[in-house]
Amino acid sequence: MKREGNILKIDHLEIGYPEKGKSNNILYRGINLCGQSGELIALIGKNGIGKSTLLRNISGLQSSLNGTINYFDKQKQAYSRADFAKMISFVSTEIVNVTNLSVFDLVSLGRFPHTNWLGKLTTKDVNNTARALEMVGMSSFARKNVNEISDGERQRVMIARTLAQDTKMIVLDEPTAFLDLPNKYEIIHLLNKLSKEENKTIIFSTHDLNIAIQEADKIWLMLDDKIVEGAPEDLILDETFNKIFEKSNLRFDKIKGDFKMQKKHHCKIGLIGEGPQYTWTKKALERLNFYVEKGNDSIQYVKIETGNNFCKWTLLDDELKHVFNSIYDLSIHLKNTNPSADLTAEGMTGRPKN
Amino acid sequence: MFSKKQNFLIWSILILILIILFLFDIVLGSVRLPFIEVIKLIFTGNTEHPEYATIIYRFRIPKALTALFAGFALSVSGLQMQTVFRNPLAGPYVLGISAGASLGVALLVMGLSTFTVVSQIGVLGNWTIVLAAWLGSGLILFLILIVSIRVRDIMTILILGIMFGSATTAIVSILQYFSNESMLKAFIVWTMGSLGGVSLTQLKVLIPSIIIGLVITFLLIKALNAMLVGENYAKSMGLNVRLSRFLIFFSTSLLAGSITAFCGPIGFIGIAVPHIARIVFKTANHKVLLPGTMLLGGIVLLLSDIISQLPGHERTLPINSITALVGIPVVIWIIIRNQKITSV
Repeated sequence: MKREGNILKIDHLEIGYPEKGKSNNILYRGINLCGQSGELIALIGKNGIGKSTLLRNISGLQSSLNGTINYFDKQKQAYSRADFAKMISFVSTEIVNVTNLSVFDLVSLGRFPHTNWLGKLTTKDVNNTARALEMVGMSSFARKNVNEISDGERQRVMIARTLAQDTKMIVLDEPTAFLDLPNKYEIIHLLNKLSKEENKTIIFSTHDLNIAIQEADKIWLMLDDKIVEGAPEDLILDETFNKIFEKSNLRFDKIKGDFKMQKKHHCKIGLIGEGPQYTWTKKALERLNFYVEKGNDSIQYVKIETGNNFCKWTLLDDELKHVFNSIYDLSIHLKNTNPSADLTAEGMTGRPKN
Repeated sequence: MFSKKQNFLIWSILILILIILFLFDIVLGSVRLPFIEVIKLIFTGNTEHPEYATIIYRFRIPKALTALFAGFALSVSGLQMQTVFRNPLAGPYVLGISAGASLGVALLVMGLSTFTVVSQIGVLGNWTIVLAAWLGSGLILFLILIVSIRVRDIMTILILGIMFGSATTAIVSILQYFSNESMLKAFIVWTMGSLGGVSLTQLKVLIPSIIIGLVITFLLIKALNAMLVGENYAKSMGLNVRLSRFLIFFSTSLLAGSITAFCGPIGFIGIAVPHIARIVFKTANHKVLLPGTMLLGGIVLLLSDIISQLPGHERTLPINSITALVGIPVVIWIIIRNQKITSV
């Protein structure tokens, strides 16, 4: 994939840890990737595949075993420490928790490569720090101590520190790891906004695929044998996503845009109904390892009846008929009458024992 | 964080306290001197009592200066270690420096006595002990610096420092076991610490060493601030982590090693004073914290020295016990009042 204007270009990179006397401990090899300005890139791959190591290599914290990383067509060695730090900044998974360190002081540390030997903040440095806090919406927290703010707020502050560092590229290792769902969305959305408005190349690793698919311009997908890059939509359509967790039962549902656990279905069950009640009843039955068929052709089936203020589920099984007021009650009954249904006993097909 | 005006007030008060304690420390001692005479002598240089001048210039001023610089050195090296290791319990001796100095002195005092007929420590002289302590801590420093260049993980260095310290302590115990009573006592007395044993000539070596160590630390303020957030971040912001670490270890060893060599291992100041400074100045920024810690270190050690002379005029208590007894309640009070001292 040769293109002009790549800010970051990785060729034949081999990452891992050198070992003396023995052959190197190679984590991953043959990495060819690129990044352009204004791009938000999500690095995705399963645990232990080498995402953090790759990010540490890119941000210059660790040396590669082989291959090259070009930043603006030059390798790291061509830059001085300060110049390199003015080009790329890093947020690790480590939680910074320092007593008495104010948010402002922490963010102003980002000015490190720009200040003199004493670290004296000029008016420009103070303004940059204040602007960085403003960009992440944390201006009112400037005087607070970093150990007094929440995880989501701290992550914003850490991002502000990279903004104060004023770099073309920002690398973040699992910025959403400790956050609740709204914060996950907000942080990634913030990164998206920054990549567009400030024209920065932002690379982050994550396990939150839904968010990555929605917000990232490009995905670097670390599979077991190779690393693939492309727009999230491309990777969904050509079924590359399915390969992430090849060895497990997780499969990517192209239509829903989400992963789904593939289960072995043991019993068939029919379902009659409409609307959201149908969808969610189906999900519940699938969770209990039933293979759900629309209609009443199966030996046992569930009929959903909805009215103005009520909803009831009727289970019809040969001559027996049970009525339930909630999916929970239905599932308890099914579990009790089909002891094998939620277990993974092999060979149970067709009609369950009563 | 305080406003500039508040900070200025705190600084002025602390400097004033330091000066008063310094003068007090000169006035107090085994011979009672009239306060007015002492002040007159210090500020005008004249006195009607030439014997006062001798006492003050030969004993009191060297002792007060020793207390002052020991306070500066130990608290500043403690602060550096707490920042580098990101551990509130780190102090100047975590690298095993005092253990190294003890080994040097133990080898001299007890090891030598088993081979020679030298039975009086006085024969060996003050300088010999200083030299032995310095060599001992220098050996440990050398090991630590080699480790710091080759080992990347800071926690590994911390553990190795503790291991070096424990190993030297073990050797010292063996020496103690085989030494005779008078040698053992001479060694124990050395481990209790003393501010009064430093002569004016020795101060001419001690003070420049401390000043060099302090200057290096002040040049490292920016690096220390970056290290607050961890070495990964420091490196990603363009800090030469290995060089900075090397310099920090060097200055810590110079500061703590010199004081230990001349005064014996004085405990507690190095751990406690940086915490007091954090409470007083409410910041983690070394631009404020470093001079603040230094100033408070001088104050606390001068105060400890004054207290050690209170029980009577004949004897002084071991300074090591006083620094612990003065410092521990302060730190306990601080920790209970500010239960947020989770990490540095």
